[in-house]
Amino acid sequence: MQRFTLNRRQMLGGLAAGAGLSLLGPMGRASAAVSEIVWATWDSNGHPEYVAPFEKATGTKVKLSFLSSEDAQFAALKTGSASDWDIVNPSLNGAWRYIKAKVLKPLDLSKVPNLAHMYDVFKTTDKVKGEDGATYAIPYLWGLNPIVYRSDIHTEEPTYSTLFDPKFKGQLAMRDYALESIAVAALHLGIPRERAFLLTSDELAEVKKALIAQKPLLRTYWQTIGDLTNLFATGEVTAAFSWRVPYDALKDKMKVAMAKPKAGIMGWCDCFGIPANLPDEKMDIAYKFADYLLGADYASTIAEIGNYATTSSIIRDKLTPEKQEAIFVDDLSVMQNFMWPVAPENYSEWLKVWNEVKAA
Amino acid sequence: MTFRQRHLALPVAAAIVAGCLAPLAVLVAFSFYEVEDFELVPAFSFRAWGELAFSSTDWFLIGKAVLSGVATTVFTAILGYPVALALTRLAASGKGLAVIVLLTPLYTGEIVRIYAWRIVLGGEGLVNTLLQGVGLIDEPLKFLLFSPFTIALVLTYNNLPFMVLAIWVSAEMVDRRLIEAARDLGARPIDAFFRVIFPLTTPGLAAGSLTVFALSAGEMLTPSLLGGTSGSTAMALVDNLFGTAFDWPLASALALALLATLFLVASAMAGLLLRLKGARAVVGRV
Repeated sequence: MQRFTLNRRQMLGGLAAGAGLSLLGPMGRASAAVSEIVWATWDSNGHPEYVAPFEKATGTKVKLSFLSSEDAQFAALKTGSASDWDIVNPSLNGAWRYIKAKVLKPLDLSKVPNLAHMYDVFKTTDKVKGEDGATYAIPYLWGLNPIVYRSDIHTEEPTYSTLFDPKFKGQLAMRDYALESIAVAALHLGIPRERAFLLTSDELAEVKKALIAQKPLLRTYWQTIGDLTNLFATGEVTAAFSWRVPYDALKDKMKVAMAKPKAGIMGWCDCFGIPANLPDEKMDIAYKFADYLLGADYASTIAEIGNYATTSSIIRDKLTPEKQEAIFVDDLSVMQNFMWPVAPENYSEWLKVWNEVKAA
Repeated sequence: MTFRQRHLALPVAAAIVAGCLAPLAVLVAFSFYEVEDFELVPAFSFRAWGELAFSSTDWFLIGKAVLSGVATTVFTAILGYPVALALTRLAASGKGLAVIVLLTPLYTGEIVRIYAWRIVLGGEGLVNTLLQGVGLIDEPLKFLLFSPFTIALVLTYNNLPFMVLAIWVSAEMVDRRLIEAARDLGARPIDAFFRVIFPLTTPGLAAGSLTVFALSAGEMLTPSLLGGTSGSTAMALVDNLFGTAFDWPLASALALALLATLFLVASAMAGLLLRLKGARAVVGRV
């Protein structure tokens, strides 16, 4: 009983203090700089050391809120359950649905001076623009999705058709993701990369056949990149349509390599976005953060630790040739070969096909 | 039950209504809505139900959930009886220890267990290495991991404690003298089991079966991460429709159809088990 009384007092005291602070809150915001912003992003994009220079320069702490999936992020914004997020992380290929759903604020690009250093392919993309012509997201980090493979087993560099080759039955893996897996099958069937995300119903039917025929060859569909890394590490899989993470994690432990198929390289790109409901007093710091993501400090740290490139050329020429190669900026012509996975108008048909393939 | 006791049940009943029936009502409403530009628009549309009715994939996955639930229930019952009966013969202190041991695997998280299974059953895993080491096999047994076998094995392992505990509680209530009388009258142990113990423990079997069926039929993570290309489930499809496809009406219709099917099968299972002679005797006595 004594213990309960004490706890209750403490709790009441805490509540009173909290209520007092919440009354003081608006005054604090009005008179001082924003003390904290919440950045919803992937864990690979937002290590604490990546944002430390920003925190030091501005005095604003960046609280990291890691995403589980882009769908979850979109759903959270759409349903209003993400009210504490100040900055969000739509993908370039998925930005259109955020814009259409009106969950992002239009951006004033004049407040992001580092945009001047952005590579043209990102600067000129229309995927971040709404029908009103306004820009709603800023691409800041990009990379390639290669085929990761065991170079001691695959003596020739794999192509997408390797993932459909009975010779490697039981050693292959595909991502459990309709958009990329259907496009990979389309490229394997010889459909040009310009149309890999614009398939007709007949082409989708052909792709479906190819994916069903592929099933017995696969060890599994991978769910998360940690899952795939584990599959490589335990010898279950020797080639998979992947992200670069397994390569970085395992290159010192086993013979792994990355293949960039000539049929088309799928790129990914993450964007900076501001939720539509962000209070005005946080807008300035949000723009400063956007500028930081395109600046030299973030680019250097994430290139060094994470092996990722930002969309800015600001530090490219200062990197060693090895590091340039590691983050795919040694040969800038690679940007001309990008395929940006974009959910097509008939995406529900794609999802239906993918679910049918998995249930077949 | 006194008036006072009934009142004590009210908060629980209210919580069940708020936590279960209210979301179900929302699902029913959503299933008739339409989606326009990522907005759920209130309507009275049968689009989702129509799509569901003619989708062989959806019904296949619902059927697969039922099969998975029933198979896991049967496997855990077959394996659970010997364990539960052995528990009844232990001394009181031994029983406590045995229950702790039985539940130990559940103290680890599901993800930890899943990756542990990969280490045990993988091509370069414990079982294959052992079998190759003693010369029983030349090549790794690939079916051990990422196959329907794996799903059945792991779901059985994960759910076995729930079945054992339910049967054990029931078995503890069986009057030992009835078993002894059966043996004295010439019944073999197997006959004593089927004609005395099994009928009198069917309430426990029913409770265990309902629990195991519900847990395994709705399981998504284990099939997805250990079932390989055969790991698709109705629950994963519901998740996909709510998330990626943003088709909440179809996701709601599928979730309701799955729920109704599982409810019917579970009711049928419980009805069959409790209709057994011994069960009626026990339930009647209570």
